[in-house]
Amino acid sequence: MTDTQTAPTPAPAPLSLVPAAQARQSAKDFKSDQEVRWCPGCGDYAVLAAVQGFMPTLGLARENIVFVSGIGCSSRFPYYMNTYGMHSIHGRAPAIATGLATSRQDLSVWVVTGDGDALSIGGNHLIHALRRNVNLKILLFNNRIYGLTKGQYSPTSETGKLTKSSPMGSLEAPFNPVSLALGAEASFVARTVDSDRKHLTDVLQQAALHPGTALVEIYQNCNIFNDGAFEVLKDRDQAAEAVIRLEHGQPIRFGTDHHKGVVRDPATGDLHVVEAAGNEDRILTHDAHATHPTTAFALSRLADPDTLHHTPIGVFRSIQRPVYDTQMTHQLDTATQQHGPGDLTTLLTGNDTWTVAG
Amino acid sequence: MTVDTVDVEWADPAPIPVRSKEVRRLGRVIIRFAGDSGDGMQLTGDRFTSETASFGNDLSTLPNFPAEIRAPAGTLPGVSSFQLHFADHDILTPGDAPDVLVAMNPAALKANIADVPRGGEVIVNTDEFAKRAMAKVGYDVSPLEDGSLDGYRVHPVPLTTLTVEALKEFGLSRKEAERSKNMFALGLLSWMYHRPTEGTETFLRSKFAKRPQIAEANITAFRAGWNFGETTEDFAVSYEIAPATAAFAPGVYRNISGNLALSYGLIAASRQAGLPLYLGSYPITPASDILHELSRHKNFGVRTFQAEDEIAGIGAALGAAFGGALAVTTTSGPGVALKSETIGLAVSLELPLVVVDIQRGGPSTGLPTKTEQADLLQAMYGRNGEAPVPVVAPRTPADCFDAALDAARIALAYRTPVFLLSDGYLANGSEPWRIPDTAELPDLTTPFATGPNHTLADGTEVFWPYKRDPDTLARPWAVPGTAGLEHRIGGIEKQDGTGNISYDPANHEHMVRTRQAKIDNIAVPDLTVDDPDGARLLVLGWGSTYGPITAAVRRLRTEGLPVAQAHLRHLNPFPANLGAVLAAYDRIVIPEMNLGQLTSLIRARYLVDARAHTQVNGMPFKAEQLATVLKEALHD
Amino acid sequence: MAYVIAQPCIDVKDRACIDECPVDCIYEGPRKLYIHPDECVDCGACEPVCPVEAVFYDEDVPAEWSGYRTADAEIFELLGSSGGAAGTGPLETDHPVVAASPAGQLQT
Repeated sequence: MTDTQTAPTPAPAPLSLVPAAQARQSAKDFKSDQEVRWCPGCGDYAVLAAVQGFMPTLGLARENIVFVSGIGCSSRFPYYMNTYGMHSIHGRAPAIATGLATSRQDLSVWVVTGDGDALSIGGNHLIHALRRNVNLKILLFNNRIYGLTKGQYSPTSETGKLTKSSPMGSLEAPFNPVSLALGAEASFVARTVDSDRKHLTDVLQQAALHPGTALVEIYQNCNIFNDGAFEVLKDRDQAAEAVIRLEHGQPIRFGTDHHKGVVRDPATGDLHVVEAAGNEDRILTHDAHATHPTTAFALSRLADPDTLHHTPIGVFRSIQRPVYDTQMTHQLDTATQQHGPGDLTTLLTGNDTWTVAG
Repeated sequence: MTVDTVDVEWADPAPIPVRSKEVRRLGRVIIRFAGDSGDGMQLTGDRFTSETASFGNDLSTLPNFPAEIRAPAGTLPGVSSFQLHFADHDILTPGDAPDVLVAMNPAALKANIADVPRGGEVIVNTDEFAKRAMAKVGYDVSPLEDGSLDGYRVHPVPLTTLTVEALKEFGLSRKEAERSKNMFALGLLSWMYHRPTEGTETFLRSKFAKRPQIAEANITAFRAGWNFGETTEDFAVSYEIAPATAAFAPGVYRNISGNLALSYGLIAASRQAGLPLYLGSYPITPASDILHELSRHKNFGVRTFQAEDEIAGIGAALGAAFGGALAVTTTSGPGVALKSETIGLAVSLELPLVVVDIQRGGPSTGLPTKTEQADLLQAMYGRNGEAPVPVVAPRTPADCFDAALDAARIALAYRTPVFLLSDGYLANGSEPWRIPDTAELPDLTTPFATGPNHTLADGTEVFWPYKRDPDTLARPWAVPGTAGLEHRIGGIEKQDGTGNISYDPANHEHMVRTRQAKIDNIAVPDLTVDDPDGARLLVLGWGSTYGPITAAVRRLRTEGLPVAQAHLRHLNPFPANLGAVLAAYDRIVIPEMNLGQLTSLIRARYLVDARAHTQVNGMPFKAEQLATVLKEALHD
Repeated sequence: MAYVIAQPCIDVKDRACIDECPVDCIYEGPRKLYIHPDECVDCGACEPVCPVEAVFYDEDVPAEWSGYRTADAEIFELLGSSGGAAGTGPLETDHPVVAASPAGQLQT
């Protein structure tokens, strides 16, 4: 038997295998004929509008775009996109999308999921998709609550949260989805907010162009069961002091007039927020392409999990590493080069035959 | 097992066997090789099988090994065995009782001797019968000396010592040299039964191509075993079993195991459908061989995805099916339990998907390496809601090839998940297979939807993802990348035709009944009944019980007792004539390796007094025992 | 396509819709509130909270107020997308159809 060591193949230019649109598209082209059925005021509307608005800028043939979702409020998303779509079962969208993306390199495959779908029932599929670096764009709508089942705590709910299933307070420590994704070897991890159309669009754009798995955590308001969960990041008066906007190559500064900054403690490596004045030399410059995820991970831990103060948004990490489906195709090509295209008769005959004469 | 042949330089020509002793002719022989898990008994059995197949005997094999990779050495749970039945005529089973037992240690002797009838030959590796090794399995006194083997023809052979002696020129450590003792045993048995030896020598050179010294050592041990038989007085007679010329239709044959045949059937189905094969799978005994085999054939465009769990395995397959692949997931019973929700989704999405279940002993982890047929009802009903799935079952190892093609045919034509129910006995057992002419394989071409299929009242041409073919009730398969056919599907109930979400009660009733009708209307051939004598008793089977049932039926007919036999390939839907067949007999017996699952289905569906004969000991039925049961049924 | 605010809002401007809007797309004019059609995400949160039932999905605007179907869109054609009402402040003028309207319900 010949063992073939597959050399890492350079990823093709992002989306180069997906056919281009024949004509100019508008947001309207991406709206399906189905009536949207989220609760009035739901943050999902804002994300849907942003996605429908930015899709035309990719210039991809609409028929080569697929949205796959699991179960939950956000998982209704595919019905509203005039592309191919599948509303599957709880937690399994990354697995199903993996099969589609690894068998069809000519498709742009998107996963829409929520904090319960992706981090609870489907946690295993999420981390393995990230680890493999399959060409998937995962939009994780995090509203820190179960909406469709009417308001139980989720794996991102804060400890002590009072819900129907935790009347004396949730006993659970929440996941930090960005930390989790970085720990799962994700090559692209970003966070954005449903109501910030411009930021959301910018992050989606970068995710779409990333070769491999991109995870975008979207803070999304459930105005029925967890209203105002991210208010501190949206409120005009508070947001400036609460939100840290990460931009690759820029110093990590925030607050009114950028009076605060993020520095590294040389003794522990931890990150701290300091007054910028007098600390200009120490303020970190954001490097989303850093080989090691250490600083990205430290940034993901910066926010106070209860108050959300010092919440970084933007692209935490965006690195190039081999893409699973590209490698898989490469192995098929290599096998064909080495052994020729498969011949069924030769295969069935094998090496050990005998003949019975008539 | 399959082996790549690599051209090797022959070190020196194989010796031309010269025989000086008495030769007797036999019609058939059953040999069982038994030893420790680490003794290489499965390899020994495989090689003897290949030699036998290439010689032209009919044959049937039964590997039997522990779930542990290396159970504690020398213990009863660690015993691994390989039984081979070969004959100069057509045979159906690996045989009830071995004529010859090769016992490589006390545990192997203890675990297997009860199966050998008195008068049988027992070849014992005496080197392993030290006090401590015997004590481990409860022999206080050596069974070779206490008379307990009286009545057997015992050949005490110091296999280990002889092997080490034969290899002393190689400069191997004793431990390394001892590892070739299975090849010594194989050489001895090859002498006893006049097996061709070239194939094994070629095999060893290929297997150890990177370590030629080990290859030569094994070949030397193999030849030493052959020469030992020829020169030692203890072995006075050797046996010839003529090729089973009459048993085989003209053609080119090879030996094949069930899992290999199933793998080839899937590749053939992919070619016949003109669709790429996509396997999503998670390793599980006894199905993993299929994942291994398909992973080797990437030049056929086969994509294999080893998923993070059973659910992801079928999930990925379903995703690939949406994308237009011939999608397959392979597993065993515990994996089916995990996949159930996704199978239900596939029923609702109406996408083609082959779910291969290599059944093993259950419930739960059960007996991973033993056979059983107890997943039938799980395959039939193991989902929430009304979720009918066709079920196809192969009957012999080689039949797994045709059954895989048939499962793919149904999946593609009717856009449905299909269960392919094999089992551990078929998976690992092997038999000669007439290699089919690939030009005669069925055409499985399945066209994708290419354009609108419906005209609205206002004249607009639209695509309706659930507008059905009036004959098959299958919905169109529109794959991403097809302009104008963008559509969304999901597990929520949808309106027939448009595919839009619908909670309408009447529509749900219509959809449930339509999905059922689609499966009920699948075209399956009528059941054929083998009844040359106008019997009153019908024995009905499914799956791997075909061999033992047919062997038992032959025994009865040889005794002049009329018995009819029929064997089901399709468990869902049943053949249309099954009810009429059942009604034609006074008595119906259904042997099953479960507690009567098919019997329950038959009784419920056809209101006939079918009786189950059941066995759940992890082993296939024995023909003799089945014959006795059928005789009793005749005389009831 | 978006929600629009029709005649009943004139001279009322209750602003309950502004509190409710998750994307800050409702702007205040001198006499009426306006929904920015490019910023509106069609979530419908504003419609049920309006005390005078002035908010309609544009296709559903009653015939008597048909001029309001496009008024909100037209007022923003010059302004463009500003990225949120709170940061922009009140509009300086009303749409002509509003300006020409007789006095609405008087606030008491």
